[in-house]
Amino acid sequence: MPIVVKTQNAGKGDWAIVELQGDLEVRSNQDMHDQFIGDLYYNKYGQPILIIGHHILQGREQKLDKPFAVLEKSKSNEGERLLETSMASQDVSMLNATTGAERTVLDHTIAQEHKSRQRTEYTVRAVCTKKLIFKSRPKPIIANVAKSV
Amino acid sequence: MESMEVDENASQLYVRTPEDVKAIVKHAKLDERQLTQLTQALYFPSADVDSDNLRLLELDGHMLGQIRDGQTLYFKGGQNEKLVLCTDERTYDVKGAEISNSLLLVPDLKFAAATSTSPLKSPRTGNANTSLERSLNDSAEDELEVPRTLEQRPVLKVFHEYFECREIKPRFRKLGELLQLTRYSGPENEFCIEQKLLFTFSQLLDTVQCSRGQFLEGLNHYRAMELDGRMRVMEYEYEYRIINIMLGLISENSWALDEVEREETISALKGIAPEEVVTGLFDIYTTPSERSPGKFEYQESMVSRIVAQNILQPGLRFRNEEFMRTWQEALPEGMSCDLKYLRGLGICDKEGAQPCIRSLAEELLPTNINDRMRALFKTKQRWTMEEMEPYIECFTTPNLSVSTLLAKHARSLTDGGVRYFVAKH
Repeated sequence: MPIVVKTQNAGKGDWAIVELQGDLEVRSNQDMHDQFIGDLYYNKYGQPILIIGHHILQGREQKLDKPFAVLEKSKSNEGERLLETSMASQDVSMLNATTGAERTVLDHTIAQEHKSRQRTEYTVRAVCTKKLIFKSRPKPIIANVAKSV
Repeated sequence: MESMEVDENASQLYVRTPEDVKAIVKHAKLDERQLTQLTQALYFPSADVDSDNLRLLELDGHMLGQIRDGQTLYFKGGQNEKLVLCTDERTYDVKGAEISNSLLLVPDLKFAAATSTSPLKSPRTGNANTSLERSLNDSAEDELEVPRTLEQRPVLKVFHEYFECREIKPRFRKLGELLQLTRYSGPENEFCIEQKLLFTFSQLLDTVQCSRGQFLEGLNHYRAMELDGRMRVMEYEYEYRIINIMLGLISENSWALDEVEREETISALKGIAPEEVVTGLFDIYTTPSERSPGKFEYQESMVSRIVAQNILQPGLRFRNEEFMRTWQEALPEGMSCDLKYLRGLGICDKEGAQPCIRSLAEELLPTNINDRMRALFKTKQRWTMEEMEPYIECFTTPNLSVSTLLAKHARSLTDGGVRYFVAKH
């Protein structure tokens, strides 16, 4: 069964991708949730500057040749599900009743498809058409004042 | 690779303040006047954001347009099939791509233009670093206060993979296979048909890996019609018999080829075949007449094919002239047969002492390209590209042409100025 990808109200939000080389890691094994990553600035020329810890990264704003859609997986509501399940099981029993030479691999796939009838669906939350890419190596910030950053 | 340091006592969550921002700008020796007024502080996703449900899907122009228009897309794929993504018109192969870079998805992030009150300075002179160097050089001149705003921006999810899409040909072979299971050969034979293998339009559309538009084309290609709410194709012999009677009416009524009457044709076949079948076939085989409004004409290519199919039963071969004569004689007057109508049904084999026409039905060949190539070269040693095309075009994609496929799966040689393809091994 096809899994529906709903697109209503998609692309309203102006979401962005920030692309960094490598991975963001914390030193110890502490929980990363809600942790501060860094500051993002733009200079007057529109160039993005990202400061993470005591590293500074110079980036570029780039239009994505192939934009990204952000899909969110969700389950459809219960009532619909029950209805579909009963329909599906009926179809399966009908298919399973098929016997003899007529029963081919094809029936099998169909029966499987009906069994695995998905109730999941996707919604396009937003479309990203631009990204900030930080390709260059981060440069260290050397503070000449002895004060913690 | 980047490391992160947070000034905080682990229990309490750190929130960026404007003072911190000011301090770091100074440490980094950036000139505030060279920066736009807004600073955006990025944070890792919250624990309560269920980001496992989020996926990035790379789009092409067509898909983007469909999404912008609010059109629904569909993922389709059975148990043993590769997943495809369909718009209303196109079909795409979907593949996961892993990357070592981190993609931070940030909702509502402001791009440069949105953070500046004055227009951004255009052409960046020289390389990207000049502006930085200048800002380094003329920093700390005068301590003019620049207003600075700070906005907090949580990252929704950090991605290391996304899904790529590649447009592919519709995979409606399965449609043909499913329809073949229940070929219709008249009401008297319906008792032999396994009722459980009859499918409705929407059941088939849901299971066949192609878009709705391509599905309709597919139904047309297989000459399927709706009988009793189920999609059906005809048994060749049965279809031929009905079409033959229908064509007979042309000379019987002295109609011109493009003055075929629909109602009369349907009523003349009453009692011979169910009306649903007759109207179905009529609508598949005819197009409205250009010359006389309200009248119809049979499509020469379709009539020629069903007639040829009837003569050229699987496994048979005919001498060239003999076949063409028989074929022509079986067609209504005014229609002429042409080898091009045999596309995918039979081939002209010039290798023997006498050129002959032999049956080679595309739909009976293996579905795997390697097996199919083997089968083709077993049937005939040397092929031109034009001859092979009908048999391998189902494997092509927008960026994988017939010649690319042949370059990979066959060996080419030139004989007397003609390029032939032969088996690789």
